Amino acid sequence: MYSSVIVPRQWTRFTCLCRSLTSVEGQKLPQNSKSSDGISPPPRKPRGPTDLLQALAATVGTDPTAAHYKYHDDPYLIPLSNFRKRSYALSAEAGRKAAAWIRDEHSNLFTTREWDPPTKNKTPYFNADPRIEAFAPKPIYNDASKVTEQDLKYTIQNALIDDSITIFQLLGGTSGVSEELKLQLLQLLCFYNEKEPESMEWLEERWFAANTRDRQAATWRLGGLADQIFESMDPKTPEAYCAMIQGMAKYYQAERAHMLTMEVKEKGIPLSTGVYNSLIGCVGFLREGTTLRVEALRSLLAEMHEQGISPNDETLSACLRSLSAWGGGKILQQMALSIVAEFRRLDIQPGLAAYYYLLCLFCKERGPRFDILSTIINELEQKEHLEAKEPADTNFFITAMGVCSDHLQNITMAERLHALLMKGDNYKLVGDAYKESIYYRHYVTVACRHASFEKTLELLDTLVPNVYVPEPSVMEEIIKTLEVGGAGDRLAQAWSQLVVFGHSKRARLVERLLDAMVNTYPGQEEEVKSKMRAAAADMLSFGQMTPEEKEMKDIRSPVQKLSATAVCNIIEMCSDTQDKADPLWKSVEVALQRLRKEEAAGVPARPQALADVAKKAAAVGLPGIAATAVTYLAECGFEEAMAASVHVLGTMLNRPEQEVEELLSQGQSALVSSLHPAAMAVAEAYSLAKTGGPIIQESERTSSSSDSDSDSSSDDE
Amino acid sequence: MNSSIIKVAQSSFTTTGIIAKCSPVLASQLHTSAPLCRVVSGKYRITKKRDKPLTYEMANPPHYIAHRKSWNSWNTSTLQGGLRRSETALEDEFIRRFMTGTWHGLVCSEVIIKRQFNHIRVAAIIRRAVSPTKMYFLLGYTEELLANWLQCPVTLELQTVDSFKDVVFKYI
Repeated sequence: MYSSVIVPRQWTRFTCLCRSLTSVEGQKLPQNSKSSDGISPPPRKPRGPTDLLQALAATVGTDPTAAHYKYHDDPYLIPLSNFRKRSYALSAEAGRKAAAWIRDEHSNLFTTREWDPPTKNKTPYFNADPRIEAFAPKPIYNDASKVTEQDLKYTIQNALIDDSITIFQLLGGTSGVSEELKLQLLQLLCFYNEKEPESMEWLEERWFAANTRDRQAATWRLGGLADQIFESMDPKTPEAYCAMIQGMAKYYQAERAHMLTMEVKEKGIPLSTGVYNSLIGCVGFLREGTTLRVEALRSLLAEMHEQGISPNDETLSACLRSLSAWGGGKILQQMALSIVAEFRRLDIQPGLAAYYYLLCLFCKERGPRFDILSTIINELEQKEHLEAKEPADTNFFITAMGVCSDHLQNITMAERLHALLMKGDNYKLVGDAYKESIYYRHYVTVACRHASFEKTLELLDTLVPNVYVPEPSVMEEIIKTLEVGGAGDRLAQAWSQLVVFGHSKRARLVERLLDAMVNTYPGQEEEVKSKMRAAAADMLSFGQMTPEEKEMKDIRSPVQKLSATAVCNIIEMCSDTQDKADPLWKSVEVALQRLRKEEAAGVPARPQALADVAKKAAAVGLPGIAATAVTYLAECGFEEAMAASVHVLGTMLNRPEQEVEELLSQGQSALVSSLHPAAMAVAEAYSLAKTGGPIIQESERTSSSSDSDSDSSSDDE
Repeated sequence: MNSSIIKVAQSSFTTTGIIAKCSPVLASQLHTSAPLCRVVSGKYRITKKRDKPLTYEMANPPHYIAHRKSWNSWNTSTLQGGLRRSETALEDEFIRRFMTGTWHGLVCSEVIIKRQFNHIRVAAIIRRAVSPTKMYFLLGYTEELLANWLQCPVTLELQTVDSFKDVVFKYI
C-alpha cells in the first residue's frame, strides 16, 4: 500500500526536477527555435533592485482630489492655501534637519553600544547589518579634527565644498595633497565656484527655494582657492586647463576664459567638447553687436571642426542659448534655424532646453506670431519619454504654456502640452514650486479665456485646490468666466474658496465677485439663490469681524474697506425675500448702517437698487430699514430719493401717492405729531432730497454730503 | 526563569530526543508569571466617583483582543521562526516612550506600531493643541530620528482630535 503511494510521488518529483533543469538551461541559453515540448521561455532580463517597485508604482496614477502625499492625510493637517502648503512642507523638513543635526552632533550614540558595562570600551555598533550609509551619521570637520586624504576623497565625492576646503587647508594646502586629488578638488571648485550647493537631501528646500534667476554677471571668484590650486599644479594637465576654462566661462568671466584658451592653444594642448560648449555659452560677452557676435560664434564652431572635436547636444543648446540671449530679429532667428538643421544632419536632436531657447527667440510678447510650438509638440509627442539633461530643461514647459496663453492664445495647444506633461513621469520636468504655479497660472488663464465653459469647470475641479491654488489675478479671471457662464452656484462657492485661499481680505476681488453675483443672480433657481444670499451675508459679517480684531490685536496695515457699491450689492441680494422674519433682513440693516456710518468707500453706483430695497422693505413691513435706506439715498443727494420716499411713505401709511405728496407739503410740526418715527424719517428724507436741506438740521447734511464727496474723490484715485 | 523550567522539564523526561526538538516551541508557550495577572493585568479599577476616563482601547480588557479590539504591536516576531523577538519588543517600547515624550501631552491614544518588511508604521491619535506647522516639525523630526535610530524607514500615521474628550469611551 505504501509503495504504491510513494512511487508516484517520487516520479512527480523527478519530473519536476527535470522541468526545472530544462528551464534553467533555457534561461542560460535563450533558444530561438521551439523546444521539444513546444514551450520556449523568454530570455532572462536583467532587473535592478527597484524595478519591480517602479513597475508597480507606474500602475497607480496621481489622485488630484487628494493633497500631495508629502502632507499628512488629516483634515487638520491638509494645507489649502499656497502659504500653508509652503510652510507645512518646510516645517516637516526643518524637523528632519533637526533630527539629522542631532544624529551628526551625537554620532557616538548612534554608532556605539551604550549598554556595554562602564569599565569596558564601547564597541562600535551598527543596528543594521550590512551598514546602511544613508542612516549613518555624517562626519563633522573643523579646525581641530585629524584628517587624511581619505577624508578629502570622501568630501569631494559627496560634493561637500566647505568641508573639502577645510580638510584641504588642514592637510597643508597646495603642498600637502597629491596631484590627483588636487585635480579632483579643482574640478569640484570650478564646477560650484567655491560655493556650497544646496544639498540634494533636502528636497522641499530645493522645491520651494526662491526663484533665483542665475545672474548673467561675472561671479567667478578671482584669486580664490581654485586659482591658487591651479597655479600650484606642475605640470598643468589638460584636465586642469579644461576645468579652469569651463569654470570661468560658466560664471561669466569671459575675458579670462578667452585669454586662457589662447594660452592653451599656443601650447598646443587639446581641449574637450565641454570647454568649447562653455566658451560658446559666453561668447556674447566678448563682442558687441549682433553681427560681430554671430561671427564669433561661427568662428568658434569652425575651430571645433578644425580641431576634429565632435559636438554634442550640449553644444547645440549652448549655441541657441547664446543666440536667444542676444535679443531677437531675423538674423538670429535664421541663424538658429540653420544651426538646428545642421545639427540634425549630425544626428543630434534638440533637447527640451534647445526648444526652450527657440521659443524664447521666436515667441516674443510684442512680436509677430510664430507657430513653432506645434511642430515642437508634434516632435515631443512621438518620443516615448522625455529625459532631463540640463537645468534649463525645466524651463521648457512653463515657457511653452506661456506661449500658448499669451502668444498663440490657443487652448488646444495648451491641452496637448498639458497631456504631454502628464504622460509617464514627465511631470518631473515641471521644475520647482514657483515654476509649477506659473505654469498653472498660464494654463488656467488660457482655459478661462478660450476654452468652453464645461471644459474650464472640469479643469478647475481637477486642479483646484490640491494641485494648484489660484493667485488673485487668476481668481479674477475665474470669476469672470463663471459670471459669463452664469454659474451662480459656483460663484457662491467661490466666496468660500476665497476665504480658504486667504484672499478674502482683498477688497477688489470681493467686489468683483459681488458684481458677478449680482449680475448672475436674477436667472437662478431658488435653491442657488438662497446659497448666494447666504454667501453675500457671510461676506458682510466677515468684513465686520475685522474692526474688533483690529482693536484687540492692533493691526498696523489698514484693512481695505469694501466699496459702497459692493455693500449695495450685498443689500440687494439679501433683501430678496418676502419673509419678514428672515434673518437676512438683519444683515441688510447692518449693511445699511455701515453705509450710513461711512464705513464703505465711495457712493453706490446704482442708487435705484437701494430705492427698490426701501420699497420692498416697506412692503414687507420693516419701516426702519426702509427709512434708513431712503435717508441714506437723500444724504448722498441722489435724485431717486424723492420718488422712493414718496412711494415708501405711501406704502407705510397705506395711502395713494398723491395724498402722500399733499401730506408732505404740510408743515413740519403737523407731521411730527401725527407720524410714526420711521415715517417721520422718510418724510425728512423727502424734504432733504427736495430742498437740499433737512427739516430740522442744516449742518448735518452739509457735513455728510461733503464727506461723501471727499470719499468719492478718494475712491477715484 | 523560562530556561530553568525547561531544564526541569527536560530532566523529568527520560526521552531527551523528543524534548530537545520541542524545546523552542515549549519556550514560547510556557507562561511562568503568576496567575493573578489574568485577573488584574490590563484592567482598570473603578473609582469611587466614577470619573476616570477610559478610551475604547482601555475599556476592553485583554481577553477582548482580536474580538473587540486589536493588537498594539503588529509584527511577525512571535510566530514560529520569527526573528528578533527581544529586539522588537524593546524597540517598540522605545518608540512608545519616544512618541509620548516628543509629542508631549498630545498623544491621546495607545501608540500602534506596525512592521511590514523593513518599514515601521507608527499610528496615534493626537490632540490639536499645537499649530499644524509645529505638528509638521514634530512629524519630520520623529520620523527622521526614529529612522536613524532603528535604521529603517519609519512613517507616522497620525489622526487629530479636538480634545482628549473626543477619545473617551466611558468613565468608570
